Amino acid sequence: MDLTKVSNEKKLSLCQWYFRIGFLFLPFVWAVNAIWFFNEAFRKPAYEEQKRIKKYVIFSGIGSSIWLILIVSWVTTFQLNRARWGAFADYISFIIPVGTP
Amino acid sequence: MNKTTKCTLNACFILCILSIGYGERTKDKMYERITGARGCYRRLNATHQIGCSSERDGSTGVIFYAETTEKLDFILHNGTAPPYIPVMPVKILTADVIRKLIDSGIVSGLVVHANNDTLDYFTHDYQCPNPLSSLDGTCKRESLWNPHGTALLFTDIPFPIFYLEEEEEVWKIRDCFKKFNDFDYDAQADRPLCSLELKSFMYATTDTPTCKRRSSIMTNLNPVKFCDPLGDSNIWSSLYPLVEGSRNETVPLRNHKYIVISARMDTTSMFEKTAGGNSPVTGIVTLLTLAKYLKGILTQDDINRAKLNILFILFNGETYDYIGSQRLLYDMLNGYFPVKGLHETNDILPIIRPDDIKLFIELSQLGNNMDKLYVHYLQNSTQIDSFYSKLRNYSEKIKDVPSSMPPASLHTFMKKLPSFPGLVISDHETSYTNHFYNSIFDDAVNIGFTYDPNATEQNSLQYFIANVSEVIGNSVYETITGKHYSGKYTADVVLVNELFQCYLEDPNCKVHRATQKGKLPKVPLSLYVGVDHVANYATTLTSLTLGWLTADDAGESNINCTNNPRNYAFKYYNMSKSIQELNVTRCYKITMNTTDAISPAFIIPDYNWTSGQYSTWTESTWTEMNVRIFLKPSSAHEKMTIAIGSLSVIFSFIFVYFVKSRSHILFTPPLPTEAPTDC
Repeated sequence: MDLTKVSNEKKLSLCQWYFRIGFLFLPFVWAVNAIWFFNEAFRKPAYEEQKRIKKYVIFSGIGSSIWLILIVSWVTTFQLNRARWGAFADYISFIIPVGTP
Repeated sequence: MNKTTKCTLNACFILCILSIGYGERTKDKMYERITGARGCYRRLNATHQIGCSSERDGSTGVIFYAETTEKLDFILHNGTAPPYIPVMPVKILTADVIRKLIDSGIVSGLVVHANNDTLDYFTHDYQCPNPLSSLDGTCKRESLWNPHGTALLFTDIPFPIFYLEEEEEVWKIRDCFKKFNDFDYDAQADRPLCSLELKSFMYATTDTPTCKRRSSIMTNLNPVKFCDPLGDSNIWSSLYPLVEGSRNETVPLRNHKYIVISARMDTTSMFEKTAGGNSPVTGIVTLLTLAKYLKGILTQDDINRAKLNILFILFNGETYDYIGSQRLLYDMLNGYFPVKGLHETNDILPIIRPDDIKLFIELSQLGNNMDKLYVHYLQNSTQIDSFYSKLRNYSEKIKDVPSSMPPASLHTFMKKLPSFPGLVISDHETSYTNHFYNSIFDDAVNIGFTYDPNATEQNSLQYFIANVSEVIGNSVYETITGKHYSGKYTADVVLVNELFQCYLEDPNCKVHRATQKGKLPKVPLSLYVGVDHVANYATTLTSLTLGWLTADDAGESNINCTNNPRNYAFKYYNMSKSIQELNVTRCYKITMNTTDAISPAFIIPDYNWTSGQYSTWTESTWTEMNVRIFLKPSSAHEKMTIAIGSLSVIFSFIFVYFVKSRSHILFTPPLPTEAPTDC
């Protein structure tokens, strides 16, 4: 969708919905929201809805960053400890690599 | 000619041209296959992994052809283009050399090749084979059973190893090495080098519990089988049937006791090839010859009068912590032998338990010492003493070794039942006379076997084995009948000769042709136990042979020679009358059957892996095992290639950016056909 062809109210409602949907454990939606509306929130000349869009963009950005940190730290911990955790690590895996301890 | 025919003809023509085409991938064209290389693979037990594995995409390294350990040392200290793959004669494959290669850190694989060197010994089993499942204190420090054993077979080696037999392939590697690698070692990194790629990537790691668990996880999105338990079948047969009565109304002979005559069925080696001349072939051949001899001298009446029958048992998987005997004993103790699921008072077969065994005679390695035979036993008992004195009466060559027990299936029985009456007959007293135990060189040459169609040479192995069979057979006869054997029947030397040929030279031998009609490959059959879900040819053929040699004639050979109505105590087969009359067939009633030789550890639910009670050996799975040779470019060349590749990627991005930013100049914009209506 080309945001330049969308009215300002539509932009706000889109941004708001993306923000809300992100709460369903969908950090990627937040990330998309933050990047997609970044220009609208910070680069466009001021308009009425911009303030609220800015708020949603900032919170989506924070939310997705927290998710990113959590996922990266979990993946690191898991990969480093997979062999040591033995059976537990195997049971929580969906794919077990061949030929590695 | 109409259009359709023309089209079809054209299509055919195009297909023809395409099929002449050479459809090899460009990336594979830089390699040349080395054929006939036998890899070393990974096995696992409850606590360890052993054997070798390559990297996931194969391990590569620069060839270094080393005839001696000195040359090997040279490259380990002066190599400038690591990693290396040494190619060396099999003689210098020792524990020290392997340690050195691992410690150097610059070796990514190893190829050993056969040559004309005479080897004094070559055995990579333990000095005390099966150390964890044998009785404590039976392998003494001052008299190790396998003194030359390097235990390399049970070592975890971090790089792949291949064994190469074909001389041409060795020459190919050597020539390439001489042409590209074997000069100016200081500047090796600056020129293209002849290299090898060894592929033998193993799926399983760590230990058996880990790989069994990983193979059976239900949530796994990509289910992979990581390992398979080692196992095959044990073969057993009774000299005379375990039942009596007419064909449709047989009743089990419940009050009979048994003398067990056993041998092992399997061997192993570091590579994907086995030999097995002295262990186990001499034991198997002696057992089979003995079966025929006893069938000839003992009658059904003798057995019935003494209420003492003979059971022949060939245990499989004994090399890997006595898999076969552990399972058979487990079955016997649970009342699952001969068949699982029979009630104590069934009318099909008698249930045989360890208490029913009056004497257990195990035939170990017998082919490396024709001057003496040793009878090993741990404790004296009336049965053992009287049997030994009988053996002694029939031959001067027999000598007893009290309080001694070489690695044998008997260990399994005596571990559970300390007063189990058993003895082991072997060609060694305190340590193996076989210097090639469980290796590829325990072959016909090792035991001095040469095929002799009419078996005329009196001092041959064939005569010795026939003689041993007679001595043991006569002693068993005397145990059962109470009388000294004075008949004229002799053990069949021609059969011994044929049997050795079956196992060591050509499986299409007369004995196998007498028992079945299949065509077999002309290479000796593998005697490695293999994995549980694959039946070994050698086991099937041996079971038919044992069945045939203990069979009763059931009349004319015809299509009615089937087990109908079914009697669970017998099988009926059409087989040749003898090895001299292959074309004369008769119908035979056979008592032979097989039982699973899969460790109880894999059938007991929630087995405690750390208990060490049963064998836990598994074999890793893999997809590819091959060796390729190729010319590796110099490192400068490699760097240049990657630089050119990276630069062209960067330039293409810049180019596309400029094209895009100036697209309005390069491409004329399409004119709007109609004016927008909605403005």
